[in-house]
Amino acid sequence: MRSRRDFFTGAAALVGAGLVSRAGAATLPEAPIMSSAATQPPPPPPNGRPYNPVVTLNGWSLPWRMNNGVKEFHLIAEPVVREIAPGMKANLWGYNGQSPGPTIEVVEGDRVRIFVTNRLPEHTSIHWHGQRLPNGMDGVTGLTQPGIQPGKTFVYEFVARRPGTFMYHPHADEMVQMAMGMMGFWVTHPRNPAQHRVDRDFVFLLNAYDIDPGSYTPRVNEMLNFNLWTFNSRAFPGIDTMNVRRNDRVRIRVGNLTMTNHPIHVHGHEFEVTGTDGGWTRPESRWPEVTTDVAVGQMRAIEFIADEPGDWAFHCHKSHHTMNAMGHDVPNLIGVDHRGVAEKIARLVPDYMVMGDKGGSMGDMEMPLPDNTLPMMTGQGPFGGVEMGGMFTVLKVRKDQKPGDYSDPGWYRHPPGTLAYEWKGEPPAALRKQDAGGQSMPAANAPEVEVTVRKPTGHQGHH
Amino acid sequence: MTRYTSSPMLRAVATGALAALLGGCASFSPDGGLDAVSAMTSARTGQDLQLTQAKHDSGATQAEVARLLGAPLTADGAVRVALLNNRGLRASLAGLGVAEADLVQAGRMRNPGLSFSRMSGGGETEIERGVMFDLVGLLTIPIRRDIEARRFQGAKLAAAMDAVRLAADTRKAWFNAVAAAQSAQYAEQVREAAQASAELARRMARAGNLSALDGAREQVFSAEATAQLARARHQATAAREQLARLMGVWGAQTAFTLLERLPDLPAAPRDGDNVESLAMRQRLDVQLAKLDAQATARALGLSKATGFVNVLDAGYVNTSKTGAPREQGYEIELVLPIFDWGGARVAKAEALYMQSVHRTAHAATSARSQVREAYSAYRTNYDLARHYRDEIVPLQKKISEETLLRYNGMLIGVFELLADARAQITRVTASIEAQRDFWIAETALQAAINGSGGSAAAAASVVSSAAGSVDAAAPEH
Repeated sequence: MRSRRDFFTGAAALVGAGLVSRAGAATLPEAPIMSSAATQPPPPPPNGRPYNPVVTLNGWSLPWRMNNGVKEFHLIAEPVVREIAPGMKANLWGYNGQSPGPTIEVVEGDRVRIFVTNRLPEHTSIHWHGQRLPNGMDGVTGLTQPGIQPGKTFVYEFVARRPGTFMYHPHADEMVQMAMGMMGFWVTHPRNPAQHRVDRDFVFLLNAYDIDPGSYTPRVNEMLNFNLWTFNSRAFPGIDTMNVRRNDRVRIRVGNLTMTNHPIHVHGHEFEVTGTDGGWTRPESRWPEVTTDVAVGQMRAIEFIADEPGDWAFHCHKSHHTMNAMGHDVPNLIGVDHRGVAEKIARLVPDYMVMGDKGGSMGDMEMPLPDNTLPMMTGQGPFGGVEMGGMFTVLKVRKDQKPGDYSDPGWYRHPPGTLAYEWKGEPPAALRKQDAGGQSMPAANAPEVEVTVRKPTGHQGHH
Repeated sequence: MTRYTSSPMLRAVATGALAALLGGCASFSPDGGLDAVSAMTSARTGQDLQLTQAKHDSGATQAEVARLLGAPLTADGAVRVALLNNRGLRASLAGLGVAEADLVQAGRMRNPGLSFSRMSGGGETEIERGVMFDLVGLLTIPIRRDIEARRFQGAKLAAAMDAVRLAADTRKAWFNAVAAAQSAQYAEQVREAAQASAELARRMARAGNLSALDGAREQVFSAEATAQLARARHQATAAREQLARLMGVWGAQTAFTLLERLPDLPAAPRDGDNVESLAMRQRLDVQLAKLDAQATARALGLSKATGFVNVLDAGYVNTSKTGAPREQGYEIELVLPIFDWGGARVAKAEALYMQSVHRTAHAATSARSQVREAYSAYRTNYDLARHYRDEIVPLQKKISEETLLRYNGMLIGVFELLADARAQITRVTASIEAQRDFWIAETALQAAINGSGGSAAAAASVVSSAAGSVDAAAPEH
């Protein structure tokens, strides 16, 4: 946390623009700074056109100043320390104290002026991903503008013509600056607040980092082997839950700024994709889904009626994206007998403990890890370890969650008879089919492979 | 009528009596020179020589050797055993007896010859008694005694040099042996780690989780570690045998046990400021060279004074052939100064004197250089050993801790954990070697200050080759 800075208390408590000079204050709007990684409840718009604000998961929305009918924002590109989850912080680059930067919310037709001050050690720019705007405002260094040099402030100005879901990110030294976390969300609300109205509107970006266990700064040259997969630069169990009232119409907007696609999956409900990068989808084009793939550089808005109470998992369906840092070359020890060898290894490495011989789950093991490293799969639920990490959170549907209340209602209390339970009777003998399945193309010479499967008997002590 | 030989005979008898008196002075010392050798050795090694036991094994010696070998052997204990028990050193000490015998002999004139003849004929009997003296021998007694006294002194210095060198070599051998035994122990741990990897790999292959290629890689590593262990074990045996040779032990005595680890580094290295002056005071080879110069100076004085005494060869050191036993000696020649008044002899004596002066200077210069080099080695090895102890080993420990943390987080696998265990063992072994090298350098520095600069340095030094005839007492490394 940056103690030198004041920070928000409650909803949208703002601080002055400490970084802007007195002379510049006459022309520059203030640049509020956020020092908390908690989800900030949405502030209603204090002026300008009305809209229904969004909730940025583990984030906040950027206040503006009205100047002769123009909405003026001030973004400061700067190094930040972001808490990825309790127990882990990262040196990132972001905007106004956090990475990702604050969500910018405007209304269709607004004239928007954005001041961008560069406090990074290298030049930058901002590209307003998905917006219709004058070419010279598109923020591509070299192509549409020179880079914003360190210490300089550039102004972008355009009319938010198209309502929808957008992003912003640098288009300068992108590989480094995006690997360092420079990105933010943008929502252009429809002119008519009743249009596409929902009760809860959550937004977050998908991002990925490669932070070596024990270190604090992402490796910026990583191409595909990222080891931290995050929603708004937060990893489960550090991500806030999405808390809604039963029968709320819920919208979740997801933007993907990683280098791979993410099948986003919701439990307990079907949803429809109501918006993409290109705008709102026509109702007749929608079909129900429980998973939607968000490709690289894409935005998806999904909507559903949260009519099933409970604690519902919400996650990327790539299983390694629901893990935190793990080794890619860890040998597979499933089914490998460790008797004798374990003792031998323990003589050389006194604190050695056998792992992985029954699978990857570390269960209830609590072992010390390198500094600033999150356990691979963790998070405790009401029934034990959730064994998840990274891109995972929980959709909490409650009948008594008040409108506008985004606080965590705690664990779901299951009505009697609605909880899975253990069968106490005798299991029947398993019937096994002996042939090799379909015989349309039987193998001419079946290879003689003898694979022994060791089954847990239930009496094996945990090493 | 009896005719007696003339009065010169009577004078000769008187001279003979004088000679006998002189001869009486040159008797054997009670210690045979060992006291001095023991004092010199003790001042330089901290261990004296056991006088009575030097000549023949006594029960007490064997009891002490047995006592020292019975407990885990320390470096000092090993030195003590070597000084008590090394037959090469005994041979060198026996050389003292030879030198002393020469000295005593030099103080005694040759036995006078007695001749007796009786002739009779014509009623007359003539008895002729003659006493014959080695007049030349008589005249040269003082010269010879002087020379032999110096030679005896030289022998004592040589014996002390041998003892000091033996002590140094033994200390080095002890450090080598302890370090090698420790390294062998660690090599065993490396093999254990490799075997654990290999065994795990075998079981993984059996469970269907490992390809033949990866399995073979783990096996070959383990096999190599076994070969490495065999080498390390031989190293330990060789180092131990070297120590056994220097201690002169055999049979049941070879079952001695060593301390398990090397002594810790001293808290601070010794100061290098005064090592050169210390060496000038204490080095035995420098003292020997000085003695040699004194001897030639004496010979020069004689030649100058008399012109007909030639002791020019005295003290001359035959340095002709390495390997062959060296000989040194002297020759006294009395000449009649009829044609030659000795000018050439004096010139030669002067040249020889200058030669020995230069040799002494050379010995001193070499000694100073050796001691500087030895100090550099000492200091470097101290710093290296401390660097290993304070930097490298703690860093490796940190690496191992961090590696285990990564293993805990399933960020790395057990094979990497074991590879790190092996790396840790290797670095610990290197640290032990650095510690060993320090102690060996420390011993070499002591030898450079006190003895003759160690075996290698002695071979390079011309003057110290006076001890050449007993070089075999101290086996070279």
